[in-house]
Amino acid sequence: MTAVEPGTKKKRISKKNKSAWRKTDIQDVEQFLEDQRQEERVGTFTEKQDEDLFVLDSSPLKAKTTTVLSIKQKRKLNAKKPMRTFQPMENTSKVEDPIVKRNHVKQKKNGRNIELEVCNPTKPRHRQANSDRGQYYVKMEQRLADKKAKKTNFETDIWEDVDFRDKIPGLKDEKGWISRDLALHIAGNVGKKLVKTHASMHHKTIKGKKFEAPHPGMSYNPTLQAHEQLLSQVVEREEGIIQKEKHLKRVTTSMFSKVTPQQRDERRLMEMSAGLDEDEKEEESEQEEPQEADSSDKAYRTINAAVERDAKKSKQARRKELKQKELQRKTELKKKLKQQTADLIRIKSIRHELDDEAEDLNDLKKRRKQRAEKKKFEPKRLGRHKFEEPDVDVNMPEDLAGNLRNVKPESNLLKDRFHLLQKNNMLPTTVAVNRKKSKVKRFERNTHKDPGTSYQDLADRRRAAAKAAKQTKDTIKI
Amino acid sequence: MRRPKKYEAGEATQYISRRAAIRKLQLSLNDFRRLCILKGVYPREPKHRRRAQKGSSEIKILYHTKDIRFLLHESIVWTLRDYKIFAKKSSRDRAIKDFRNLKRRMELFPEIKLDHIVKERYPTFIDALKDLDDCLTLLFLFSTFPSLHLIPREQSNLCRRLTIEFLHYVIASKSLRKVFISIKGYYFQAEIKGQKVTWIVPHYYPFKPQSRQEVDFKVMSIFVEFYTILLGFTNFRLFHGLNLAYPPQFPSTLLQDSADTFKDESTFVSDRIAALNFELLRTDKVQEDEEEPDIDMELLEQDGDSKRIIKMKQEAQEISRLRTLFKGLKFFINREVPREPLVILIRSFGGKVSWDASVFAGATFAENDETITHQIVDRPSLSTQYISRDYIQPQWLFDCVNQRQLLPTNDYFLGESLPPHLSPFVDSKRDSYIPPEEKALHDPSLIETHEQSEEESEEEDTAEKEEEVDQELLDAQLQLAYQQETAEYKKYGGPDGVNEDEEDFSEEDDDEEDDEEEDDDEDVDEATKRKLQEKEKMSVQSGKVHKVNKRQVHKAEVDEHRLQARMVKPRHRNLFRKLIREKQTKEKEEWLLRKKRRNIDADSKEAKKTAKREARKLAAEAAARAAKMVK
Repeated sequence: MTAVEPGTKKKRISKKNKSAWRKTDIQDVEQFLEDQRQEERVGTFTEKQDEDLFVLDSSPLKAKTTTVLSIKQKRKLNAKKPMRTFQPMENTSKVEDPIVKRNHVKQKKNGRNIELEVCNPTKPRHRQANSDRGQYYVKMEQRLADKKAKKTNFETDIWEDVDFRDKIPGLKDEKGWISRDLALHIAGNVGKKLVKTHASMHHKTIKGKKFEAPHPGMSYNPTLQAHEQLLSQVVEREEGIIQKEKHLKRVTTSMFSKVTPQQRDERRLMEMSAGLDEDEKEEESEQEEPQEADSSDKAYRTINAAVERDAKKSKQARRKELKQKELQRKTELKKKLKQQTADLIRIKSIRHELDDEAEDLNDLKKRRKQRAEKKKFEPKRLGRHKFEEPDVDVNMPEDLAGNLRNVKPESNLLKDRFHLLQKNNMLPTTVAVNRKKSKVKRFERNTHKDPGTSYQDLADRRRAAAKAAKQTKDTIKI
Repeated sequence: MRRPKKYEAGEATQYISRRAAIRKLQLSLNDFRRLCILKGVYPREPKHRRRAQKGSSEIKILYHTKDIRFLLHESIVWTLRDYKIFAKKSSRDRAIKDFRNLKRRMELFPEIKLDHIVKERYPTFIDALKDLDDCLTLLFLFSTFPSLHLIPREQSNLCRRLTIEFLHYVIASKSLRKVFISIKGYYFQAEIKGQKVTWIVPHYYPFKPQSRQEVDFKVMSIFVEFYTILLGFTNFRLFHGLNLAYPPQFPSTLLQDSADTFKDESTFVSDRIAALNFELLRTDKVQEDEEEPDIDMELLEQDGDSKRIIKMKQEAQEISRLRTLFKGLKFFINREVPREPLVILIRSFGGKVSWDASVFAGATFAENDETITHQIVDRPSLSTQYISRDYIQPQWLFDCVNQRQLLPTNDYFLGESLPPHLSPFVDSKRDSYIPPEEKALHDPSLIETHEQSEEESEEEDTAEKEEEVDQELLDAQLQLAYQQETAEYKKYGGPDGVNEDEEDFSEEDDDEEDDEEEDDDEDVDEATKRKLQEKEKMSVQSGKVHKVNKRQVHKAEVDEHRLQARMVKPRHRNLFRKLIREKQTKEKEEWLLRKKRRNIDADSKEAKKTAKREARKLAAEAAARAAKMVK
């Protein structure tokens, strides 16, 4: 039974021969006869009851789900398709492979297909792996639950007074039999050691108040006086900086004159060859000198004179020297004694001198102490860089709007906090380093270069020109 | 005996360089930094650097060896090492594209637990409160951040949540004391459990990107990580102290069944909580009235009336007045005004507040509500205005809170140029010299006199007027004193309490007398006679003003001071002398400045006068000339 399309004509075939008759389609006739026979055997539809023909469908209707694939699913489906890049390699030709029995090289797949192994395990090791995985998942769920419980959710009062003994079952001491020391010892051995915090945990990094009140001139709508005061502070600071810079410039940059490279080289040459020139000069001068030298002194002098021992002292001289020494000692002693007796009278003033000295020392001590005390309030030198006060935040007079809507916020709060941490000795002062990236040598690829003119190009051009010329010639002829 | 080697004892062993510490703890530099910040271990400056650094004189970052040894026992160190392992393993998974494993690993990311560190660093709750300044400022700042490099979004969200909770506590406990708008941001100072906690909230402007050159974001993020945990536990304790449910919840009565609430209840509730405009759910059913702090004061009174106690009493009185400053007032915040700081102010002093519903969720009444008493506006003009309310600029609220009284609103009206906003952190009652302009700002009663005095200077006949002004000033002061007295009387029964009782007694006596009169009619004549006699004798004399002998008062003061000086213990004598000297120098300075000011004022006045006189003279001459010309 071939469906005949309405528009097309049925092809007529000649029924001349028997073989031609065989080609005729008699399927429809046969189908009809078959149906008739079937009806005779079974009976017609009209005779049948409804119950015999239809079945009551008690299962719920499945809602038609419009299958909207998620991006992930789509991606998975796409992954199953062959890659687009390989499409040209596919054999699309209708011509069959002439060699039927070609040896196909089976490409081994990259890695195992774990999904397949999980879904339909074929080997015992697959099954083993599956069971292992199951066990692992159970364990992991337990771990995840533990982790969730561990997360801090601020549901306890950590500052509540809790005795550590209450947490360890055996140590709950109702009758007062277990001493604290013993409890501590047991807790340590049980594995719940009580850690005593080190005293330096609570050490203050800086003395003084943590909160520094803002200057009243920093108000968004300050009084004129306060604002001017703040401004003058800023100006003073700025002037100090300028002065320092000036000083540094005077001491360094302006101390040296600027020279051209040529001059520099000349100077260098002069400097390096300073001694050489002198030698030459000396030689010259030596040549002149001898006449003078001859006139003044003719004695021979060595450069390093030989060391000569002094003439040996005589015994008498030694004795005399000794005597002199003894005499000197005695006179000194006498002088000292005399001084002592004189000092007896001067005892009061000596006491004064001593007192003065002691006072000076005391003063020094006090000053040192004061300095040390003052240092406690100042930022310390923790690292390589010294802490420097950040600039004072101030609104310039023209920026003061006087209302909340137009406030010009001047400071960077984050920077402010960062500097405060440094000031309070909680962070060492650091300077951000700009690491220079190593220079990349860049060059164009040959394929991306501007097309140059090669010999080939030139030849092509010439040929094209010739062709064009020829054509024009032809056209003219016509 | 072994010869002791160099640097085996003393300062050299007390300190350890950062590099050595890292090697000892087997951590990377980043992990070490994190550990130190979390545990509160900071670098130290040695007394003698060369000795501490074993001979080398370059400046290294040093730590106490004991601190580092203490860090060795920390459980976090293991977690930090786990991080390293985690990073290695997960990067391997990523490299071989084993995403199944990677996902599993990500879920098991080892997270740091900091609860025990909070307890360790702040053994008592008060310690934690003392260190809350930095914490709050940083968290308020971070709550405004979007997700940045090194600052994850969860962190800034958590910051927002915790700060909102803290603000709820501040509102519920009415503990706000001082506020200040500076160019940095809004300063708030609250008194929590006797501790002054100050924090800065940045101005409500769009986020401005930061350059990474100036601030180490990673370090700040670590600080914030610790501070979030600290503030979380602090909030928990604070909320429980007020019998509020934590995390904050909404009373179910306020949850109306509308489509809005049903759609997404959690966001609905969190929006309302962030609005700060509703009372939170309490764990106890009964709403307790405010506890009266006066009782403690009464107890203190028995110890005698020393200056300190009087001061404390005044302070307590002021604070109790402050806590109900805006009670009964209804505010509406216009859309151009930053909502949050104003809501905090109004709500924590008992006012009711609402705003345009389109600005933020949680508005309770609309702009056209006739019961609104104040509308807060920050624009030069407004098209539709209601007569029933005051249109004021936001500074009024801040100034009211700082002065602890409701100021007259006329200076703060819509479009007015505002009086300067003074810092509450500068003590207005300080001993040093305060210029009269600033004094006038603090005490509104002085404003008028000051202005008047200026007006007078322009007029000729100053003397009489000045007297009048003096009288007015005196009257004003007397009135003020009287008011204070009555206020005190109301508060504490005051010194007049005894008198009242006496009056009662006298009344009773009268009654008794009446009874007697009824009883014995016979003695009436005698009694009337006696009374008549007494009446004749009675007379009213003109009252005399009690004159204070200044010299005597001064003498008494000096005597008292001498006595005080004698009472000082010998070991405190130096300190006492120093204090006295400081006081004297301060007074002298103040006196000098005042004198200077007086001179300047007088000079300027004189100059004005002469100028005026000359002008008048010139005018007179001109008039005369004109008259002549006419003639």
